[in-house]
Amino acid sequence: MNLRWYHAVLWLLFVAGLMLMPELVSKGTLRTMIFACYLSIFAISWDILSGRTGYISFGHPFLIGIGAYTTAILSKRFDVPVEVSIPIAVVMTMVAGLIVLLPALRIKGSYFALVTLAYMELIYQLTQVVRPDLTGGTRGISGIETLTRGAVNGYYMAASLMVVIAIAAWLLMRTRVGTALWAIGMNEESVRGSGLSTTRLKCFAFLASAFVAGLGGAFYVHYLGSIAPRALFDINFLFTILVAVLIGGAGTIVGPIFGAFFLVFLLEWLRPVLPGAERYFVYGLIALVIYMYQPKGIIKIVADLGSRLRGNAS
Amino acid sequence: MIQTIIQGLLLSGLYALIAMGFMLIFSIGRVLNLAYGAYLMVGGYVYFWLSQQLGLPQVVGMAGAVCVGVMMGLLKHLLIVRPLKGNHVAVEISTLILAVVVQAGVVLVFGDASKILLPIIPGVVNVYGASVTYNILAASVISWVIIIALFVFVRRTYVGRAMQAVSMDQKGAAISGIDPDRVNLITWGISGGLGAIGGVFFASYTQLSPSMWVAPLIISVAVVIVGGIGSIIGTLIVAHIVGFLEVFVVALLAPELRGVFTMLLIIGVLVLRPQGLFGRAEEA
Repeated sequence: MNLRWYHAVLWLLFVAGLMLMPELVSKGTLRTMIFACYLSIFAISWDILSGRTGYISFGHPFLIGIGAYTTAILSKRFDVPVEVSIPIAVVMTMVAGLIVLLPALRIKGSYFALVTLAYMELIYQLTQVVRPDLTGGTRGISGIETLTRGAVNGYYMAASLMVVIAIAAWLLMRTRVGTALWAIGMNEESVRGSGLSTTRLKCFAFLASAFVAGLGGAFYVHYLGSIAPRALFDINFLFTILVAVLIGGAGTIVGPIFGAFFLVFLLEWLRPVLPGAERYFVYGLIALVIYMYQPKGIIKIVADLGSRLRGNAS
Repeated sequence: MIQTIIQGLLLSGLYALIAMGFMLIFSIGRVLNLAYGAYLMVGGYVYFWLSQQLGLPQVVGMAGAVCVGVMMGLLKHLLIVRPLKGNHVAVEISTLILAVVVQAGVVLVFGDASKILLPIIPGVVNVYGASVTYNILAASVISWVIIIALFVFVRRTYVGRAMQAVSMDQKGAAISGIDPDRVNLITWGISGGLGAIGGVFFASYTQLSPSMWVAPLIISVAVVIVGGIGSIIGTLIVAHIVGFLEVFVVALLAPELRGVFTMLLIIGVLVLRPQGLFGRAEEA
């Protein structure tokens, strides 16, 4: 595991900072931060799979949507208590992850990305047609039971969920399994050559990623209280997740969190200047420039800068 | 029934044209240009701006659309694809980001609301008792003319053959005195132009809106995946499969299911036969 005492200190500082936020900032900012927390969860989920193994998934909205829809339908239409519906939603998401996985064992690279993209568009069209009495069709479902009331409680909920997931993912990535996932991203053949079952490892990465996606999706829908197909199964949503990871730094845990907060607040700051979807113009351009300059993200840029400064100082 | 078949034929011609530009890039650079849909959207909007807002002749509008499309293709190659040298994942991600940027740019200039494009040629004609608008007829005829021209260009001219060579083996082509970089640049330009003109027709068939780029992108992906790499004939055949599938689903089942079978086709073919139905076998 290779843990050091300062790891614990840094995590404690991070958690303490997050928990102090409601005292420091306004309610409006808190609501923005709640969204940033959920986006971080989705970004971590994407990163567990794609950031590590190099299998780029364009289908994460598919997984998140399965989790969100399952719990929404169960609690709204069948009056299942939330404590039961969320675990069911997570299991459903993992099963859906397995369905996506079966073809993925055969195909690589761009084709894998395409299959996952196709799944996302498929589910988008199906939710509107199949059993609209359950899914609410194009309009979706509203009036879903919410877990918390008010911005402060919602924030604590989102932030603690994010912290738990972040630390769990961080610990996972420091085990031998995490290292093996990294190695798949670098050279899959040599991992297989050293006697590890890449199939089983990829399976595991998928399930872990689907678990986080389902959990995040389920809690997110119980925070929002409503759900609609175009808000979830959308290229723009996929784009937000992807950019959060890549801007922050793929293959790290802090990177996606940082990227998510950076982007959500960037959108908020742009709101007074450009009110509508035009914001994505500036946002996307910034993302594109950072990505072209350093594909490993801001974390890498900061680290490079730091080492350069230290190099000059000594 | 005849109405459905004729519609299928006409729509498939349009889809074939749309998929061609995407297929060219995929065969030559092995790169999925996820911003391809953006060419269509920009082509449609440029045409709308020139011919409907400025009131210029339609030919000028189309020429303008093609010029802008070619420019976009060239710029994209110079600014994004070339600096990212061969890193497919990076190119795909950055083209996806670019597509969203272009979409937002269109919203910035033209607004969020969708626009109706006036038919390129107004009027309706009766074919065996089925009414067909001149507009889609013209779109389909022009698509076929462009496709045949492209086929001749790729098979007969020096540049076209160089493109084929690069798509088969980049190193081999370089050894035979072809500059793969230049061929790539030319291909990106052609692809942009094809996309833009396809966009004008596609927009006149449906409507102009800032999110119109997703549907044609998925269609081109389906056509290219199923048709295989580097095969114009394969692209043509599969464009017809996709087109007819869509028209029949709309006519016989439900309009909402329009895209479902296209998606199932992508998934099924990728899982069972990753090299496509008509393409060359490729080592992964």
